Amino acid sequence: MSDTLAPAPDQPKAAGRSALRSLNFTPRFWVSIVLIVLVALFAFVGDMLYPYGSNQRVGSLFDEPTPQHILGTDNFGYDVVALLMASTRNSLYNGLLAGTIATFLGVFIGILAGYIGGWFEEFLMGVTNIVLAIPAIVVLILISVSIQGTNLQFLKGIIGMSLVIGFTSWPWTARSVRAQASSVATREHIDVAKLSGARTFGILLRDVLPYLASYVVMAWVLQVASAILAESTLSMLGLGPSGTASLGVELHWALAFNAVANRAWWAFLPPTAVLTIISFALLYLQSSLDEVFNPRLRRGKKKNLAKAAERRAEAARRLAAEIEAEVAP
Amino acid sequence: MSEKILMRATNVTAVYAGEEGADVPAVDNVTLEVPEGEILGLAGESGCGKSTLGNALAMIANPPLYVLGGQMEIDGQSIGLTTLGKSANARHRPYRGQVVSMLPQGAMNAISPTLRIRRLVCDVVHAHHKDMPRSEILDRASDRLDMLGMPKRVLDQYAHQLSGGMKQRMVTVISTLLDPHLLIADEPTSALDVSSQKQLIEMLLAMVEAKIMRGVIFITHDLPVLSMVTDRLAIMYAGKIVETGRTEDLVHQARHPYTSALLAAVLDPTEATRTKHVLGIPGAPPNLGHPPTGCRFHPRCAFVKPRCSAAEPAFRDEDGHLVACWWAEANPGVTVPVEVNLA
Amino acid sequence: MWYLGALVVAVVLNFLLPRLVPGNPVDVIVSSMGSGGVSSGARQKIYEAYMQEFGLNQPLWQQFFSYLGNALHGNLGESFSYYPAPVSGLIGFALPWTLALQIPAILIGWIIGNVIGAIAAYKGGGWDKSVFTGALFLSSMPYYCLSILLLYGLAVGLKWFPVGGSYSLGLSPELTWSFLGDASHYYWLPFLSLVVINIGTQATGMRAMSIYELGSDYVNYSRSLGIGDAKMTRYIFGNAMLPQITGLALSLGTMVGGALVTELVFNYQGMGTLLFNAISSSDYPVIQAVTLIITLAVLLANYVVEVLYGFIDPRIRAAKTGES
Repeated sequence: MSDTLAPAPDQPKAAGRSALRSLNFTPRFWVSIVLIVLVALFAFVGDMLYPYGSNQRVGSLFDEPTPQHILGTDNFGYDVVALLMASTRNSLYNGLLAGTIATFLGVFIGILAGYIGGWFEEFLMGVTNIVLAIPAIVVLILISVSIQGTNLQFLKGIIGMSLVIGFTSWPWTARSVRAQASSVATREHIDVAKLSGARTFGILLRDVLPYLASYVVMAWVLQVASAILAESTLSMLGLGPSGTASLGVELHWALAFNAVANRAWWAFLPPTAVLTIISFALLYLQSSLDEVFNPRLRRGKKKNLAKAAERRAEAARRLAAEIEAEVAP
Repeated sequence: MSEKILMRATNVTAVYAGEEGADVPAVDNVTLEVPEGEILGLAGESGCGKSTLGNALAMIANPPLYVLGGQMEIDGQSIGLTTLGKSANARHRPYRGQVVSMLPQGAMNAISPTLRIRRLVCDVVHAHHKDMPRSEILDRASDRLDMLGMPKRVLDQYAHQLSGGMKQRMVTVISTLLDPHLLIADEPTSALDVSSQKQLIEMLLAMVEAKIMRGVIFITHDLPVLSMVTDRLAIMYAGKIVETGRTEDLVHQARHPYTSALLAAVLDPTEATRTKHVLGIPGAPPNLGHPPTGCRFHPRCAFVKPRCSAAEPAFRDEDGHLVACWWAEANPGVTVPVEVNLA
Repeated sequence: MWYLGALVVAVVLNFLLPRLVPGNPVDVIVSSMGSGGVSSGARQKIYEAYMQEFGLNQPLWQQFFSYLGNALHGNLGESFSYYPAPVSGLIGFALPWTLALQIPAILIGWIIGNVIGAIAAYKGGGWDKSVFTGALFLSSMPYYCLSILLLYGLAVGLKWFPVGGSYSLGLSPELTWSFLGDASHYYWLPFLSLVVINIGTQATGMRAMSIYELGSDYVNYSRSLGIGDAKMTRYIFGNAMLPQITGLALSLGTMVGGALVTELVFNYQGMGTLLFNAISSSDYPVIQAVTLIITLAVLLANYVVEVLYGFIDPRIRAAKTGES
């Protein structure tokens, strides 16, 4: 960048833009963003354009793809494309809700433990470690089994599932946030804030949380991904949301009706593919955010590296020529 | 010249790959000699390129550091120092540890925590002598430890079981296991307490005495240590060497204003400076990305003249005492007056 | 230390949750029998007998202690749907299949994944990039998605493997070479789908750890002594492996869930399939027993890893044996 184009530091708007630019979003970041946007478009916009509804029976058991129904029908005779849109939408809702709840709880508990310290920290982390030691899936299975036996219709739906997943998957985040928060808590600016009489909650919000922001964003992305997978695992075991579609429920029925052995690929490949794409895109996004936030991890763009190497070789040649010229006379 | 030269490095240039693509030169066309059997001190403020020069000479420059050019003559061999090109690493590997060895800055973590020291010792020797049996290697290592007055049991221990001073001495033994011609010691004493410092220095001197290595480059910003152990000094400023000569000459008859200021700022107060306020050198080291024109020290120099910013001074040889300074050029044989410098 | 706390919490949860269900499990059985035209009086009798049998008419705390006492004796109750088959027998049949699948898949996946990850980090460049993307792709893929793809591609499509099951029809499990040979034919696909994903997960983790180790002083120092790449990769591996061992212990719980569903996809008769069938028939004792066994196994594995870790890391070992 030439000096004349560099923003003057006293222009806040320009400074903000350059701060954003200095984050240096990698190609990896853009690839994952594009994948996520495509999936979201398919789920939310596709639904408006597609002629068939997800609860509209258009055929019979595993009808083969036709020009009208390009992915055929599932075991109940629903249009697979329409169903897939609804499923993806529900799975995304579930991931966002559960992931947000889990991240919020984890950050809240982690920050509180890390900042306050002492017996409070020991207690919270003791609870966290115990919950972490028990396989999450076991807790989810037990809770879901219990819920299925009740007549709490609300908890049986996709929102109920999200709540259950969200309220059980915070410990990971809590543990890592605590480690970060306790290191931030020892910094000088916290002492300054304390001395100036700020309230604990205010300090947490203004002086601790911003330092963890990048980490929280990454934790959230991971929580969304793992919530989507948890839902589909439960659904495949037959503990899915009742009465609504989801990617896991779709796979559950496809397996229950032996779609694989019957070569009804349209019934099980699409949800498998969408699930894989969502999960991959979110993990890829998380790893690219890691690079965006921690430039140390960046291993250099290939093109720039090659250019720099060329330039360096040129400098070395010039140097050798200069030395030659000095020695010659 | 009467002395035999062990190592002569010429035209060494090294750059750090910059954030925005532009490279920052950290060592700029430096020439350096180490006479046989001597300890050469390399001093300067932090960031002057002394460690970078050490890494270039030890042939261990790693991205983002690149050595663009330079030639090293040592023991009749001529080695290209550049790290450009794919084969550089493979070309340099046989020299490392055997011809030029490194005693690193952060010796505290220099030994892998999951490795018994015995293993590292064997691996170092095997890297250069593939077929030497382990028993022979360990015998040799034990003998070396014996000779240097260190307990043999350290071979069976892990790094974390040794004290800081012991660890640093053990690293020194490992670095010199293959009797390298030249040892480059990069701030080896900076993390140690005073008594461990003394032990390490005594050991290094004993090793030179025993001709385990034939020359040492001792890099530090700790000038009291340097004036104690070195035969010669080279003072570096902003990627260039500005003055070099016998240690007592430099300490007592500094010819470059920077040398003088550096010594005055850090050395034990001597007769000449005891009554004066010891000040730091005014100003900050320059940005190596855009070094000052002419003499790089001119913006901070008390003796600055117009020509200093116009042209770069060449080395002036005063009986083996080399200095690159316009003031020294104009005042041959005169020691830099400390009072003026610190005024 | 946490294990004990976790164990208590897990057992209590395991006991409590299914019992919070208002309509108790006996209702389910009785109503499923009820379709056979049994008179309401007889039904009431059956109901009471079952309540007695399962101890559901006692206060909750008494139920808990009898549950605990029975569990300690290996008595996990009787299955509802295969009544009166003891649950321990069902578990005893399913567990070996699951262990035979999981343990090799985890260990082999761990070893191969870590070697690949360390090499990728050390080599850098294009190799690293492709390994990283591939490994990340695999590690983000749910086990059962890969299972479905493999089943469809290799078994249904290419017919290289049987389409699901654990052994050929007509055989019964026994420790003979012919049976093991037959079962191994069915074993490959589930094993492959688990191991491939474990490799991906471990490789991404190891790569990150190794990149971190690459910048450490001991790597630079070893390099300055002329030590070659192969040795250095081994040093890096030795150090980066330690957090990977702890990581494995921590992720066991997560791995279990996916692995259970993998069995389901292949109709492989381990704990996952047992659990699935129990869930679909509301067979609470079996569900409870399966979740209890899974929890115990994960806690035990965690404990074993912790003990092992003490032997592997010289720093901890030295502290334990008092060397200094």
